[in-house]
Amino acid sequence: MSNIAYINNRPHEFLPGETILKFVKRIQGERTIPTLCDVPNLEPFGSCRVCSVDVALVQNGPVKTQASCHTPVTAGTYIYPSSDRVKKLRKNIIELVLTDHPLDCLTCEVNNNCELQTVAAEVGIRDVRYPEGKNHLDRKKDLSHPYMTSDFSKCINCFRCVRACDEVQGQMVLSMAGRGFDSHIIKGLNTSFKESDCVSCGACAQACPTSAISDVFESKSVAYDEKVRTVCTYCGVGCNLEVAKKNGEVKSIQAPLDAAVNGGHTCLKGRFAFGFYNHQDRITSPMIRKNGELTPVSWDEAYSFIADEFNRIKSNYSPDYIAAVSSARCTNEENYLMQKFMRAVIGTNNVDSCARVCHSPTALGMQRTFGTGAATNSIVDLKFTNCIMVIGANPTAGHPVTGAKLKQHAMKGKMTIVIDPRKTELAKYAHYHLQLRPGTNVALLNMMLYYIIQEGLEHKEFIESRTEGYEQFKEGVLRQNIDELESITGVDRELIRKAAIAYASSGNAMSFHGLGVTEHSQGTYTVMLIADLAMITGNIGRRGVGVNPLRGQNNVQGAADMGCQPHQGAGYLDVTNSDNHAKYEAYYGAKLPLHIGYKIPQMYDASLNDKLKAMWVIGEDMAQTDPNTQHVVSALKKLDLFIVQELFMTETAKLATVVLPGASFLEKDGTFTNGERRIQKVQKVVEPLPGTKPDGQIIVDIMNQMGYKQPDYNPSTMLQEISGIVPFFEGVKWEELGKNGKQWPVNKSGEGTEILHTESFKIGKGKFIGNNFRESEEILQNGKEFPYIITTNRELEHYNCGAMTRRTKNAEILKEDVLLICKEDADKHFIQDGDLVCVESARGKVDIKAKITDEVKPGVLSSTFHFPEIMLNNITSSVSDSEAMCPEYKVVAVNIRKSKGQYKHQPQTQLS
Amino acid sequence: MARKLLLEHAQVEGIHTYDVYRKNGGYKAVEKALKSMSPEDVVEEVKKSGLRGRGGAGFPTGMKWSFIAKPEGVPRHLLCNADESEPGTFKDRYLMEKIPHLLIEGMIVSSYALGCNSSYIYIRGEYMYVLQILERAIAEAYANGWLGKNIQGSGYDLDLHVSPGAGAYICGEETALIESLEGKRGNPRMKPPFPAVQGLWARPTVVNNVETIAAVVPIVNEGGDSYAAIGVGKSTGTKLISASGNINKPGVYEIELGVSVEEFIYSDQYCGGMKNGKRIKACVPGGSSVPILPHYLITKTAAGESRLMTYESLADGGFASGSMLGSGGFIVYDEDQCIVRNTWNFSRFYHHESCGQCSPCREGTGWMEKVLHRLEYGHGKMEDIDLLWDIQRQIEGNTICPLGDAAAWPVAAAIRHFREEFEWHVNEPKRCLETNYGLVKEKTFESVNA
Repeated sequence: MSNIAYINNRPHEFLPGETILKFVKRIQGERTIPTLCDVPNLEPFGSCRVCSVDVALVQNGPVKTQASCHTPVTAGTYIYPSSDRVKKLRKNIIELVLTDHPLDCLTCEVNNNCELQTVAAEVGIRDVRYPEGKNHLDRKKDLSHPYMTSDFSKCINCFRCVRACDEVQGQMVLSMAGRGFDSHIIKGLNTSFKESDCVSCGACAQACPTSAISDVFESKSVAYDEKVRTVCTYCGVGCNLEVAKKNGEVKSIQAPLDAAVNGGHTCLKGRFAFGFYNHQDRITSPMIRKNGELTPVSWDEAYSFIADEFNRIKSNYSPDYIAAVSSARCTNEENYLMQKFMRAVIGTNNVDSCARVCHSPTALGMQRTFGTGAATNSIVDLKFTNCIMVIGANPTAGHPVTGAKLKQHAMKGKMTIVIDPRKTELAKYAHYHLQLRPGTNVALLNMMLYYIIQEGLEHKEFIESRTEGYEQFKEGVLRQNIDELESITGVDRELIRKAAIAYASSGNAMSFHGLGVTEHSQGTYTVMLIADLAMITGNIGRRGVGVNPLRGQNNVQGAADMGCQPHQGAGYLDVTNSDNHAKYEAYYGAKLPLHIGYKIPQMYDASLNDKLKAMWVIGEDMAQTDPNTQHVVSALKKLDLFIVQELFMTETAKLATVVLPGASFLEKDGTFTNGERRIQKVQKVVEPLPGTKPDGQIIVDIMNQMGYKQPDYNPSTMLQEISGIVPFFEGVKWEELGKNGKQWPVNKSGEGTEILHTESFKIGKGKFIGNNFRESEEILQNGKEFPYIITTNRELEHYNCGAMTRRTKNAEILKEDVLLICKEDADKHFIQDGDLVCVESARGKVDIKAKITDEVKPGVLSSTFHFPEIMLNNITSSVSDSEAMCPEYKVVAVNIRKSKGQYKHQPQTQLS
Repeated sequence: MARKLLLEHAQVEGIHTYDVYRKNGGYKAVEKALKSMSPEDVVEEVKKSGLRGRGGAGFPTGMKWSFIAKPEGVPRHLLCNADESEPGTFKDRYLMEKIPHLLIEGMIVSSYALGCNSSYIYIRGEYMYVLQILERAIAEAYANGWLGKNIQGSGYDLDLHVSPGAGAYICGEETALIESLEGKRGNPRMKPPFPAVQGLWARPTVVNNVETIAAVVPIVNEGGDSYAAIGVGKSTGTKLISASGNINKPGVYEIELGVSVEEFIYSDQYCGGMKNGKRIKACVPGGSSVPILPHYLITKTAAGESRLMTYESLADGGFASGSMLGSGGFIVYDEDQCIVRNTWNFSRFYHHESCGQCSPCREGTGWMEKVLHRLEYGHGKMEDIDLLWDIQRQIEGNTICPLGDAAAWPVAAAIRHFREEFEWHVNEPKRCLETNYGLVKEKTFESVNA
């Protein structure tokens, strides 16, 4: 009896904590109780009262009307969800709401998809008895923003947008002003969407039950032909998107509520920045450089030219004179094909991917300590953790959906530690912000380890039973000179000690890290120390803990999983191991090389030393994004054959000898693997633009052109092939991936894994590996002459080189790269906000507009490289991680001065 | 002569200063409580006293205190609700203005009983000068060691803060008050969780009215039993009544609960009878939100018994023929007053003060105001009266906080008892603008029991 309640006098079992609304809907169906202010992904709010039901303590006894959305079910009560009284009440409430709503349904964007309209129809409003009076129908529309729109004459004051802004995104832009009848939604301090701090995530538009808030794509309109569910192509969060198409074109995007990853939320890139896919700049024909000009050719001509050139170089030199860079923006299947092509058809291990320049140290560091180079836990674990430690990552800009969840955690006052040279958005909410000098992660983490040991906060049992190498490691940590480390990091030791204690004593602590950890000369070592921190505190192998790299690109996890690495084949098997070698040869039916190939930086060096003659690059703009631009460009220019497979004529494509037009994520099928190892279905929404082909098909065509029989690109058969060779993909089948995919390892019976290392580590026992701080070569060599450190970062609105986002209206929101500089440094050089600053390093110089901010400390500068106008990588260095060869984007020794050009220019304009 | 427990020294020259207050027996309750009583003892005395919330709802204070959650290591808070904004109610202002130290003393003793180390007085924004009085008094209390660390060497610490509202009636609702005190828009919260479990900053919190807290001082001084000896039944002790309207002596009176309404209105000790010898037409005994009583239900209940100034007697007959003691905002109307106009005036207030969160209240208060305005100005239709009835029915009980009820009850009661006056407004629109309807006819109560 303790969990029985009655609906219309029939007994039903209710779940613990279930609200009346959920209970009745579960038993009687979704549409049995109308609601206006209730949304599944927001907390109950109880303001519209349309969901009211009658509740009695005895059968047919005296009833009390209660709002079902927030009233928990009480055992033994009698619920009457649609008594006459309640029906009348609902009707009266809707009638009141309609007195202040324009009844222009036929011309409204959300006609036929309006919750108010639906509820009004359900409760049967035939007449509004109220005489005309004062209303709010004359409110002005807000069309100021490139994406967001509002028309508050349609607002019904349900607070859903306000709650979405608070609870989902945490931006707090929308709020309710005025009282009672005067209640109205405002943005910021009563400004427009454009002027406000809105981050254009669109959560409010999706939450709004009417068209009071919407977007320029009218994503709530029913005027579409079909909706297709797919996965976002931007960051590694892997948001599910629901793409509406009309007349063969993408119309709008929304976030499905039932998505495990993003549950009804996504960011402005995922939701709005899709306009690139049919932008006029798309390359729509293969091109070959003839007489110095890229000239459109047929696919056949391009294929035979490529095959001939590959064959020529293979026979004139060797297969190792050919290299490929696969794309983390492409699907697993395409990446698998790319490495298979290089290994089985060309016969070289010279295949790498852009994981090299972002998370290769993560993969390596975590492989060495845990055995698996991937996030140990899932994002859903945030619900179960007490403490988050975010190191070298700016998730609210780089991984907005996960970032919003982390921000929610921090805003609830739960322990949050941020280790970052910049005062990131999250740092503003953190308990501890350890604002270290760029490049000193290892020193700082060693201090944390030191204090954990000194305070006796090690998890002895975990260390004893699950790890090895602790004693030696401990000695190394205790030998550290704290005075020295403190001055190296520039962070007060007391703050570090407190943060260490907080992390170690929180019970369940999760760490997250980004490129601020990996893109350093000691990147791999830093990752290993993060792993050490997790092991020493026992934060591995259960809910709410773990080491969780925030993977940069949508499929950077997958690119490495599929073997686009010179030392490991598909499934991370060592290519130099003879057993693996035999296995691969048998599976591919070809002769494979046994030696490790070139990593990306080595490819450039090889080209400059005449050891590399051909390169095939898919979807990577290394000329803009790889460090030390001049070095990269001269290496690429030196190649005989440089194939660039791209959507747009990027800075890299401009250097190509052959350009192949690939297809965007909206135009192909396949799978992406997100940062939590979740393999999700990418489904074609529209046909590839005429003249373009899915990248996988291009690779297959060239494989066949070169005499290797590979069936046409098809995700289902490709996955079947992959599952035969990649151990952790064993049970992955296209047909069984469902809406939310599966997290690898997926066993034979198709079960995925949310948490790794629960019983034992992949390598048996976790390995403690200590490392000492070592100053970056960049600082040692150039630090004297170039006393400032510039570190690179990302902005929310743009994605990496910006090839895609700059071709959307995101470019109207954020127009240029700027140099973040603190007031003190700016004053020293007479730099004012908006001045052009010349930033010079040992490699080169760039002119960039200054933005004075408190986000960086004196001596530290920061900027982005989203725009080719600046080409910030002209100044970044070729120093890279000693282990994984990930370039050190984050520590560049520079000097600054007010730009001469600007300085001279300004007085002239003033004089004239 | 009736006993005065709160206002005994209200007229003493300089009682608002620490020295005079102390000389007149001030802070003895703190001394007694800190020296000779445990917090539980204080709670026990308050329980024994039968003290009920003086803000309007009349919930037993001792019981409210015993509900406060006491999780280990989590601070608790006592909030004093001094956001007195109910039309017709001005007793708290008088008390704070005259004897600020009484409230402070009550806050110290109550905070001690509840185990709070930081307590807050949330005062109505319009009471800015009272805020200054309180701040001066609090500074005196700090200076004399009655607030701060280690009060009078007892080891008990208490910080007392005063925070002004910004002019919203809704912030007198306890959860809206908490939101406002936290710096947010004053929207009421859903319950559960109740403030006793998750209140200010999600910590266990008790919110009490000014008068309630002040009453703890005599209870501690003289003992709960002695307090409970005053009054009738479950209405114990004394109560401050804000008397206003067409009476000879409007003002704040401290009555012993149990005094008859007749005595209160007509005796010289209190209201001193009707002004200009007019006949009484109606009475709102507990602030604008409680049901209005027609002339024949003021001094006698429907059952013919004498109506007393107690929680029970004023509520006798339920909403059909009774009302509520409420906050003690006692408004008297003579035969020249227009009930429709008065109801419209009240509705205008609630329309203005609805926070806008719940649809029925946000839209409903607006339409009640509009419809009543139309009736009062002679443009009404007969259906409007039913429409009004319909609106108030869907507001009552269907909102997150009691503001909806407070807006609905006066309208319901006005229609219930004065329907003929509403109909007269429709039937004789011109006359209603020039003259008033006068007294309504007596009714029996089976017929109007809605």
